Amino acid sequence: MDSIVTVRALRKVYHVPEREAGVVSAVASLFNRKTREVVAVDSIYFDLPPGEVVGFLGPNGAGKTTTLKMLSGLLYPTSGEALVLGHYPWRRERKFLQQITLVMGQRTQLWWDIPVIDSFEMYRAIYEIPHKQYRHTLDELTELLELAPLLRKPVRNLSLGERMKCEFAAALLHRPRVLFLDEPTIGLDVTMQARIRAFIKEYNQRYGSTVLLTSHYMADVEALCKRVIVIHHGTILYDGDLLGLVHRFSPEKTIVVELREGSFDLSHFGRVIEQDGARVVLRVSKDDTPRITSQLLANLPVLDLTVEDPPIEEVIGQVFAQQEVA
Amino acid sequence: MKRLFDIYYSYMKIVIAMQLQYRASLLIWAFSSLVWVLIPLVVWVTVAKSQGGQVGSYSSGDFAAYFIALLIVEQTTFTWVIWEMGERIRSGQLSPKLLRPIHPIHEDVAWNISYKAITFALILPSALLIGWAFHAEFHPHVWHIVVFFPSLISAFLMRFVMEWTIGLVGFWVTRTSAINQIYSTLFLFLSGQMTPLSLLPRPLEMLANILPFKWAVAFPTELVLGRLTPTQVLLGFAIQASWLLVSLIAFRFIWRLGISRYSAVGA
Amino acid sequence: MRYARLLGTFFRIGLMSELQYRANFFVQAFQSLVGLLTGLGGLAIVFGQTDNLDGWLPEELLAVLGVYILIGGIVGLIVRPSLERFMEDVRQGTLDFALTKPLDSQVYVSTRQLEIWRLFDVGLGIVVIIIALVQIGDSVGTYQAISFGIVLFSGSVIVYSFLLSLATLAFWFIRVENLLVIFESMYQAGRWPVTIYPQPLRAALTFLVPVAFAVTVPAQALTGKITWQLLVGAILLSIALLLFSRWFWHQGIRHYSGASA
Repeated sequence: MDSIVTVRALRKVYHVPEREAGVVSAVASLFNRKTREVVAVDSIYFDLPPGEVVGFLGPNGAGKTTTLKMLSGLLYPTSGEALVLGHYPWRRERKFLQQITLVMGQRTQLWWDIPVIDSFEMYRAIYEIPHKQYRHTLDELTELLELAPLLRKPVRNLSLGERMKCEFAAALLHRPRVLFLDEPTIGLDVTMQARIRAFIKEYNQRYGSTVLLTSHYMADVEALCKRVIVIHHGTILYDGDLLGLVHRFSPEKTIVVELREGSFDLSHFGRVIEQDGARVVLRVSKDDTPRITSQLLANLPVLDLTVEDPPIEEVIGQVFAQQEVA
Repeated sequence: MKRLFDIYYSYMKIVIAMQLQYRASLLIWAFSSLVWVLIPLVVWVTVAKSQGGQVGSYSSGDFAAYFIALLIVEQTTFTWVIWEMGERIRSGQLSPKLLRPIHPIHEDVAWNISYKAITFALILPSALLIGWAFHAEFHPHVWHIVVFFPSLISAFLMRFVMEWTIGLVGFWVTRTSAINQIYSTLFLFLSGQMTPLSLLPRPLEMLANILPFKWAVAFPTELVLGRLTPTQVLLGFAIQASWLLVSLIAFRFIWRLGISRYSAVGA
Repeated sequence: MRYARLLGTFFRIGLMSELQYRANFFVQAFQSLVGLLTGLGGLAIVFGQTDNLDGWLPEELLAVLGVYILIGGIVGLIVRPSLERFMEDVRQGTLDFALTKPLDSQVYVSTRQLEIWRLFDVGLGIVVIIIALVQIGDSVGTYQAISFGIVLFSGSVIVYSFLLSLATLAFWFIRVENLLVIFESMYQAGRWPVTIYPQPLRAALTFLVPVAFAVTVPAQALTGKITWQLLVGAILLSIALLLFSRWFWHQGIRHYSGASA
């Protein structure tokens, strides 16, 4: 049992009731339930070795959250198999639940009206954490997440960012071996997002827990994940490292040229993305890049020139766009 | 077992502190419970007056004692979980509870007990005051009081498991308020809350015997008033135990059914 | 009159928005019906044991039940939802939207939120009253009918003014929803004539919380038990309370506006 998470042919199909507008259809639907099949997750396969931080990337409705819910035991799969730490998640065995955690971006697992520290106390009891270990873990988390000023406040008095920090702490009090994080940075401001990312990275390095993170923020994935699983319409489009993703799906490079003066028309060199006076951004195919670069340098008064990969968002966007067409 | 005890202890400590923050609401709730018992008390005492002081086996003082005892029994056994469960399921608030390595019912029990622990300080003196004001006639034997406590405990367990299970109908029905209302109304008439069951028309009285409601409310009440023979007391305990067993079986079965539906449809 | 038309508009909008939820129609009708059956059941059981409750006959108690449901329906239809919304606005600080409308603030705040389904209670209440009258038979004369109408109206005004004054406390104390809940639970005592309650309770139900004037007194008018002193008293009290509540409301508005300056 090398992998912490093993997923084989995992499939989830929802039956969504379908009904047209109008009174007659409403009455008719009482007698004849018409449902439509929606395949949320379509027979996916992957393995997660221990200690890895994997990003699950995809647009809304791609199947990320559904997969996460199946792996944490909240949903039954329609068919297929998944093993997490050697357990079938949906059996919700106590030993299994004590070793995992699920953090959901918008939903709170803390008790609303009581001080944060009291919610932590409740979790200590629920997860049977020995007192000494609890104190130790709490101190570490308080330090890592800067929780000291927040502990005595009731959850309802916290800002979203403060609450997310406390959610994380609560989720990690029992030192789970597997972390499922569903859109953990959604709705947070930029500084807080960076803080949370730094925390997750630090935590993973210190404790070696396996992390499966879903997001539609590229920055989350870029900061944390060496491995990315791209999912769309319930299928896995790509499973590998981040760089490979760019190389595989984007055969183009971006050239940013700053000219000494004047406005030139560079459209015969490549696709002009932006033109702001003397600054031009070009898109050229990867193979042509060396040739075009030397041409630009030779023929134009170039002040500065950089060659970049296109932003990953665009790459992903294109991947999904291609899928739509297909 | 130690684990459960530990969990309940932590829960209750925290929940009691929290409920004390909302003292005003607690007071209002406790006050409402008093009003709720006071009204039928006054009505039946009035009926007794207009009937020359006695209705069935109840004198004016007997009615007062009945409703005071009823107040105590209600306070010990009531739950409000059927009114919350539907919303909890619908809004997905149930999901975080499913991720924890403990059954969600324990949290509700802890809340329930915590609330009662606090409000009892108000209810008990009020009960005594009302009893004195209405000249309640209460002549218990010691052993009535002694046997009262276990009857309360089993009544509480029975009622809690039953109502928690009924709340699970929220897994299948979105609008649970109608079902809750039917349940509450049946309970009101057939448990002894509105009137001592011996004053009901015969067919209703017989119906009350075969339904569980009476055994959670009227049974302990009549027991502590000394209105039951030892045989009746033993029989009552046996029936309580049977209903508790039935409720537990239904609870496990319906919970499993409900969870698989919840997990299939979407958490 | 402008305000009559305004009320009509609130009704129409409330009705249209609620009718979208067809299922609600049946559920609410059912709930009102169950409430009625509960009341009737209680009466039936009591009158299975006696034929006279402190001088009230079964059909007279039926009238009490009818008035109880009717008044409950009227309060639940307009007064309670509007005042609850008002208290919410004070809590959230969104009252200004209401106060800047070109309307009398008191009327607007008291009537803008409706719970349409309470119309079922209003309807059922009226039906029960009519049935009760039929049962009482030919002892209902014009005097009784007129006095009933007057006292019913006064009773409604008294309850409204009382609840409004309670809600007005929100200007100073912000969180006063619990006060309305106290009224709700004491109102249940109105299902039975207030005369059956022993003295301290009866006084509380008459002067502390005007349940007597809301339910028992109109029922007394209907069944000919009312004295002219009580009739006049009810009218005078309703006028006094209405004036007071209006004055108090304006004090509240002044406090509110002053505070935010």
